[in-house]
Amino acid sequence: MELFTLWLWPLIALLVLPGLLVYFGLHVVERGVIFVDLALAQIAALGVCVALAMGAEAHHSLLPYAMAVSFTLIGAALFAWTRFRHARVPQEAIIGIVYVVAAAAATLVLSHTAEGDEALKNLLVGNVLLVTKGEVLRTAALFAAIGLVHLLLRRRFLLVTFDEDAARAQGVRLRLWDFLFYATFGITVTSFVQITGVYLVFSYLIVPAVCGALLTAGVQARLAIGWAVALVAGVSGLLISVYGTSLDLPTGPTIVCCFGFLLAISGVVVKLRR
Amino acid sequence: MTSMLFAAAVLANLKVVATTGEYGALASAIGGPRIAVTVLAKPTEDPHFVDAKPSHLVTLNKADVLIQGGAELEQGWLPPLLEGARNAKILPGSPGHVKAGEGVTLIDVPAALDRSQGDLHGAGNPHFMMDPGNARIVARHLAEVFCAADAGSCADYRTGLAAFEQALDGRLAAWTARLAPFRGTPITTYHPTWKYFAARFGLVSDVFLEPKPGIPPSPPHLAEVITAMTSRRIPIVLVEPFQSRKTAEAVASRTGATVVSVGQFPGSLPGTEGDYLKLMDANVEAIASALEKAKGR
Repeated sequence: MELFTLWLWPLIALLVLPGLLVYFGLHVVERGVIFVDLALAQIAALGVCVALAMGAEAHHSLLPYAMAVSFTLIGAALFAWTRFRHARVPQEAIIGIVYVVAAAAATLVLSHTAEGDEALKNLLVGNVLLVTKGEVLRTAALFAAIGLVHLLLRRRFLLVTFDEDAARAQGVRLRLWDFLFYATFGITVTSFVQITGVYLVFSYLIVPAVCGALLTAGVQARLAIGWAVALVAGVSGLLISVYGTSLDLPTGPTIVCCFGFLLAISGVVVKLRR
Repeated sequence: MTSMLFAAAVLANLKVVATTGEYGALASAIGGPRIAVTVLAKPTEDPHFVDAKPSHLVTLNKADVLIQGGAELEQGWLPPLLEGARNAKILPGSPGHVKAGEGVTLIDVPAALDRSQGDLHGAGNPHFMMDPGNARIVARHLAEVFCAADAGSCADYRTGLAAFEQALDGRLAAWTARLAPFRGTPITTYHPTWKYFAARFGLVSDVFLEPKPGIPPSPPHLAEVITAMTSRRIPIVLVEPFQSRKTAEAVASRTGATVVSVGQFPGSLPGTEGDYLKLMDANVEAIASALEKAKGR
């Protein structure tokens, strides 16, 4: 059991950090902007690449982080500005375009620095197994702050996402609230990506929210189901990859497959109930 | 398979972890049954990027000795693994933390570390093991480390080292003879992996498919490569399992060159698992026979 200390911080990360992701997932699924997390993470990565091209060292200066946050805010403004009421172009198309252009631009920017692919890969491929105590504590503090903002302003955020027409009728400034939403969401995603990588971020956002939507209607009940799904998938994925020594599986993909399994179970439950 | 390894680990005196296979192969050759060797990177995997698994942390947690290249090849993934493994014996600065490159004269060492010049590795070119002369330096270094960590078996380690060096001498003579007819021949490689090899055996390695180390080939750069290969009649393009063979073949088909599969790690080429000498046999033979055919044309 001495080995337990090896998995302590990954376990704490998987217990504490996904809570906020699951909450954002409800918004994202309801808004129908499923891939916006990938696009924002890629924009943040582009920001870091620009910082590297300007000569910053990846892990030793504040510039990359500042650029990541600034680019995330630009992305947030872009997505807030491109939400139209009865749009002929679905927002998901814009998100996809932003994603590929940001990814391609990052490659172009990095082609003039030496670190190239290596830097880009490090930005988007975190590994939850290697998370450090400092990262967990810093990220948890950041998430607590963002969570508090959303807790205090939850009525507005939920109204803007779940009932756009009512929000308009009440004269809510949609662009501003959308910007706030995407800005806090983008910073959350960017921090989480560096700990767990893109696949896990996507799974934590979408699968719990979809399970919740399949099984129940109310927002609070969906959130509760989502949190349960996230905890079970994260912890069982970690345990399988750590203690299934004969399989020797990498942790992130194991957790993603646990999510897939839980979604399948939710689907079966829904079928049986009808 | 795992249980067999586990049994070996229990019987062995030293648990040795190597980042890449060529160090693991040297350690096995020297330590024989006295040591249990685990290699972290798969031979077909790009050693710049290794995906951490729980088993890596467990292995590092229990290790007595860690062998890494020491020229920043593993800098992207090893430091966080070491931090996670919580094993003071193998932390940098401890006797159990071996930098294989110590004592080796590295090439391509930048005068000033300037990222914009494409210096991925500030310490120099980390692919020094492709020169068998450097393998000898590393083997001697490893034998010393094993002696220090397990003094009771020191005589065995010295015997293992002597046997390895004798085998290496014989093979080195054979490899040199095999490649002697091609002295001065220029070769193209994907990444600057083969400069040490070229220097040892009298080949010229100064054309690379990557415009800078770690940057994917761009069309203008490939056009330059094609021009250089045509005007200098470069007969072969070396490519490793994790590099883009398609790019190599596109260039080769426009210049009449041959694409040759080579590898840096035992197991990169079939039949070379766990054996540095067999790997170099395979590399030398692949390159020599391709150059022979090119000459015949």
